[in-house]
Amino acid sequence: MTQDKHASAAARWTPWLALALLGAFPLLAPALGLDFYVGFVRRALIFALAAAGLNFILGFGGMAALGHAGFIGVGAYALVALVNAGVDSAWILWPAAVALAAGVAALIGLVALRTRGVYFIMITLAFAQMLYFIAVSLRVYGGDDGYNLPARPTLGLGLDLAHEPTLYWVVLALFAGVMALLNRATLSRFGHALTGIRDNETRMQAMGYPVFRLRLAAFAIAGAIAGLAGALLVTNNSFVSPAVMHWTQSATLIVMVVIGGVGRRWGGPVGAGVWILLEEFTKQYTDYWHLPLGVLLLLIVFLAPRGLVAVLQRKPRAVIAASPAGATE
Amino acid sequence: MSLFKVEGLVKRFGALLATDHVDLEVRAGEIHALIGPNGAGKSTLVNLISGLHAPDAGRIVLDGVAITGLPMHRRVEAGLSRCFQITSIFRDATVRDNLLLAAQAHAGSSMRFLRPRDAEPALFETAQALAERVGLAGQLERIAGALPHGAQRKLDVALALAARPKLLLLDEPMAGMGPEDSERMTELIHSLRSDMAILLIEHDMKAVFALADRISVLVYGRVLVAGDAATIKGHPQVQAVYLGTEELAVEEAAAA
Repeated sequence: MTQDKHASAAARWTPWLALALLGAFPLLAPALGLDFYVGFVRRALIFALAAAGLNFILGFGGMAALGHAGFIGVGAYALVALVNAGVDSAWILWPAAVALAAGVAALIGLVALRTRGVYFIMITLAFAQMLYFIAVSLRVYGGDDGYNLPARPTLGLGLDLAHEPTLYWVVLALFAGVMALLNRATLSRFGHALTGIRDNETRMQAMGYPVFRLRLAAFAIAGAIAGLAGALLVTNNSFVSPAVMHWTQSATLIVMVVIGGVGRRWGGPVGAGVWILLEEFTKQYTDYWHLPLGVLLLLIVFLAPRGLVAVLQRKPRAVIAASPAGATE
Repeated sequence: MSLFKVEGLVKRFGALLATDHVDLEVRAGEIHALIGPNGAGKSTLVNLISGLHAPDAGRIVLDGVAITGLPMHRRVEAGLSRCFQITSIFRDATVRDNLLLAAQAHAGSSMRFLRPRDAEPALFETAQALAERVGLAGQLERIAGALPHGAQRKLDVALALAARPKLLLLDEPMAGMGPEDSERMTELIHSLRSDMAILLIEHDMKAVFALADRISVLVYGRVLVAGDAATIKGHPQVQAVYLGTEELAVEEAAAA
């Protein structure tokens, strides 16, 4: 619960440095011959967003949801449905995707959050599979074959989303904004209540916390973020198929969070980035990229059982007294 | 002046009647002890009262409000707070963070997402006051799980006190304590009585007779007898099933 209080100076400026580098990337890429990777990093940022949302409930809330890709799909298909109906403004498309994904997550949460442990994993998986098959059966939106966007949504403000770097910066801005909000939320009253429920649910109930309501709110927030990721993914690819919400995608998101660091502030994004990079590199060497990727994952899990972020932060732990709490003594 | 009343409470686990039409009354300002041999159903009764289990029949009333069907957190709102027989704290967090969490539960909504909790001095004041009340003011920065057993029990009590309950349920607060810690816990419980009624479940008879105004004896899920300390000490059946030596029990059997 107190991890964040020990944050050293390095931990404080690292995210800003990363943000600056990511922001400069589309400008530097042509000179380095890495143009292709602008789209690649953009896609990684979108998955980082979804993984960060999942880490909020998995790491901070102790909810091992194996259906998170379902909410990515809800966001993606909400956007597709509106585009198909003639809407092209991102100002309507993206918020609608977020709202619908949050709503669906809340409804599923009403049922799923009554269970715990393996049952929770299974029931979230079952709901995600239902969403998957609904998407498959939607002939209007291409069914199994997927749906091609006629054009990227429009944003106005002089920003053209068809321009690759512009879309990149918009995605980066959204990613940074969501991360800032999530990181604030983990330090808020809500965040402390959520980790309290993760650590000792019965005691939280006995102290008077409305545990179910708090968990439901967290679940809906994570669903909303996944919905945003879904909408951005369709915008990015100009295409969506039910494959985005296949259950293996949900499992991949969990793997991302685990290798990044469950319950670590940057665990989701770091895990997503590492996973997608590894996937990309192993694919360059072999068509049978699953095997070397699996071996690399085993190494990571053995060498960094608490996630890569935990390894990066393994430094002085002697600054406990310098917490803001000390001021009130 | 009855503050808290349990009427005809029943709980079955399969064929086992764990709570058999229990009636119980706690008066305002009273420390009421619940004793009984192992397996008498004390813990079940506590869990029914606090809302961890749902009863099969019966009524629970606190201060004129029926709380029988309420979920746990609503009972706390109604003024019922509990401690746990097996210490239930946040072991990886500091004592201060434990107490902050308890304070936050009773200081407005937890559905606040953006303002850092550490920017709320009122919560820190409440946490400080709770620590002082149970004698943990010097341990605020320590990790709760690393405290000695007696201090962890005190923290468990402090977490329950944050609710400022009308009735405090103490489930074997002396469990696993040596005589010295027991003594200190007895003092602590004694210091609470001016602010709340207490239902005390306890095996330590010294503590029970030192603290309790009235005592109910639970045997096989039923209340055998309720009364003041003298009544209970003098009650032949109680002596037989609970306090008594074998000799007494044999005498009792012979007399009956």
